[in-house]
Amino acid sequence: MYQYTEVDQKLVDERVEQYRDQTRRYLAGELPDEEFRALRLMNGLYIQRQAPMLRVAIPYGLMSSTQLRKMAEIARTYDRGYGHFTTRTNIQYNWPTLESVPDILAELAKVQMHAIQTSGNCIRNTTTDPYAGVIASELEDPRPWCEIIRQWSTLHPEFAYLPRKFKIAVTGGPEDRAASQVHDIGLHLVKNEQGEVGFEVLVGGGLGRTPVIGKQIRPFLEGRDLLSYLEAILRVYNLNGRRDNKYKARIKILVNAMGIDTFREQVEAEWAHIRESDLRLSQSEIDTVKAQFTPPAYEAPAADSALDAQLAENETFRIWYERNTVEHKVEGYRIVVVSLKPYLQAPGDITDIQMEAVADLADRFSFGEIRATHHQNLVLADVKQSDLLEVWKILDGNSLARPNIGTLTDMIVCPGFDFCSLANAKTLNIAEQINEKFEHVDYLHDIGDVRLNMSGCINACAHHHVGHIGILGVDKKGEDWYQFTLGGSSEADASLGKVLGKSIAADEVANTIEKILLAYIDLRESEAESFLDVVRRAGLNPFKEAVYAADH
Amino acid sequence: MPLIIDRTLVAEDKWTTVAEDQAIPADGAIILPLAQWLEHHDALKGREVGVQVNGDDNLDQVLALNGQVELIVVDIPAFTDGRGFSIARLLRRAGYAGQLRAVGDVTRDRLAHLERCGFDAMLVPDDRFESETLNAFDEVSVRYQGGASVTRPAYPQS
Ligand code: HEM
Ligand code: SF4
Repeated sequence: MYQYTEVDQKLVDERVEQYRDQTRRYLAGELPDEEFRALRLMNGLYIQRQAPMLRVAIPYGLMSSTQLRKMAEIARTYDRGYGHFTTRTNIQYNWPTLESVPDILAELAKVQMHAIQTSGNCIRNTTTDPYAGVIASELEDPRPWCEIIRQWSTLHPEFAYLPRKFKIAVTGGPEDRAASQVHDIGLHLVKNEQGEVGFEVLVGGGLGRTPVIGKQIRPFLEGRDLLSYLEAILRVYNLNGRRDNKYKARIKILVNAMGIDTFREQVEAEWAHIRESDLRLSQSEIDTVKAQFTPPAYEAPAADSALDAQLAENETFRIWYERNTVEHKVEGYRIVVVSLKPYLQAPGDITDIQMEAVADLADRFSFGEIRATHHQNLVLADVKQSDLLEVWKILDGNSLARPNIGTLTDMIVCPGFDFCSLANAKTLNIAEQINEKFEHVDYLHDIGDVRLNMSGCINACAHHHVGHIGILGVDKKGEDWYQFTLGGSSEADASLGKVLGKSIAADEVANTIEKILLAYIDLRESEAESFLDVVRRAGLNPFKEAVYAADH
Repeated sequence: MPLIIDRTLVAEDKWTTVAEDQAIPADGAIILPLAQWLEHHDALKGREVGVQVNGDDNLDQVLALNGQVELIVVDIPAFTDGRGFSIARLLRRAGYAGQLRAVGDVTRDRLAHLERCGFDAMLVPDDRFESETLNAFDEVSVRYQGGASVTRPAYPQS
């Protein structure tokens, strides 16, 4: 993975001291609240219902075991012994004090980490496929490009005060595990007719109050032109995006208001000025970054097939293997997904001890690297098949092996009312209710992939619009109610879910999901027809009947 | 108000800002709003004239000031309004070499960004200025991106 140069290290060190001084000036009353707010947000610090919340950047979701141990140490020293992985593959701490944040940032800088631009109206952490570099269908590893974008976007002097936050996601092939179509910019590595690899560029996707799927602005962009093209898009947005209303300030609103064709014309006109500038990447620059992401030293597959015997002998292991591991492009290896969705715990939460356990596993069995996923889980990307049984045992001993990846209980859930001052409704109690209801339901496994996303308000932090089942908390006269949407997807076939009907009372949420799933089992033509396929084929009506029929 | 030019506090400012509804003084160096300048520029030939613009002005008209005036002032109504950064970059790219001055909600924690985008002059409100403010320019010395003066990004150098 990418190792900091002296220059990179100097930047984060200086940034820590700069922020230390900003905090000092704020506490001394020299810096107005509103200005400090903008500055602390650009260092990942929110002030929330319970306490400040610090969001630390994990660039494109990739971290070393040393970094993960540092995160554990911070959780123990400055927080209450846990952290929370987010849908943007960052980690959040819910209980640090404002005064301690400069020290936390200094600790992070020691392991090449920071919290720069994890919040605020600037370019945020770029995200990508958690299976980058290890999945067979990929055209090219997207992470070198993410690193190039990270450097270009970090402390960019022109784009620190955009109309609104700005998120970029990159995918390396036809599959989309980064929700790229609901990002401000989505970049897809594609091949053109000449067989060259470059980017398809999407712009103007996003969720929140106005969910929009990104539109194609360019079918093919040469890799060397990546930064000039991004800069052109950002400049047009910075000059023209709305600043009078924060709910209309995202680039998606600008693109819709101008129309994609006019927007494209403006971007291309600006691009013509800068395409041949110093922003053009030379092949040697690209190669230098790519050289930091070379594959690890894989061993030739062992001749013994102990795995088959182990799977045959141990059913719990086999279920975990089938659900929580993924085919690796190198024979003899497997991608292991570490479930952060244990029974009755907040999705994405992880304790300091669990972090250390995962770091140890990474060192012993996966070349010392860990990835975070958009679905709030972790990944050990390079585990030898012969090590799987042992990895599973250790994960299981740390409550990290619940075999639920991709199933209903692998929910994306935002913190909701318990932690978030913007929430309309609680989410964590509903997640518990769902866990309790479905823990022992045996049909859950043959239901296959179901994506459930639940947000506590319209800001849509948990991407409810693109869940196969989306749940949105709403406040009705002081009570929590929940609106359901069906048929969303954040993958290559991205779509926005449609509202099922009137919202559901808090204690009926799990029962409603059950009705929906039973209706699906009834409707499907075979086990191969997934939940999403059925919703797309049959539409919402049969599900409406199943859920609301008794009311009539 | 403290005026910083090229990172140094300057005592003298010869320019007088003329408000929209104010008569144009008969002599001296004046700063006019863009609309006034567009209306009167023929009559002002030979005088020292600067023009004040903001993010709502027509960008083509702003860029056309290049070569016409000695001073361009960009008004930043709120520190969160980042349009001024892009306006400065575009003016410098167009070849404008005169003084480029930021006024309005211009305070310490934006000075380095303003400079990198091409501003050489910044007018800081009285109550927000201390001598220590001038330290803001070098807090972070690493520049990953090119800016108005150094266009080369940092990483190829490393
Ligand atoms: C607890 C404090 C939190 C607050 C106050 C907060 C606030 C917000 C707000 C206001 C938005 C909407 C911005 C807009 O549409 O322009 C937003 C979007 C978002 N939040 Fe959060 N959030 C919080 C926690 C989280 C967590 C825990 C996650 C991850 C699980 C998260 C992930 C996101 C994402 C991915 C979006 C973008 C949705 C989009 O594309 O529009 N947030 N957040
Ligand atoms: S969706 Fe709403 S409730 Fe949930 S974290 Fe985001 S802002 Fe808070």
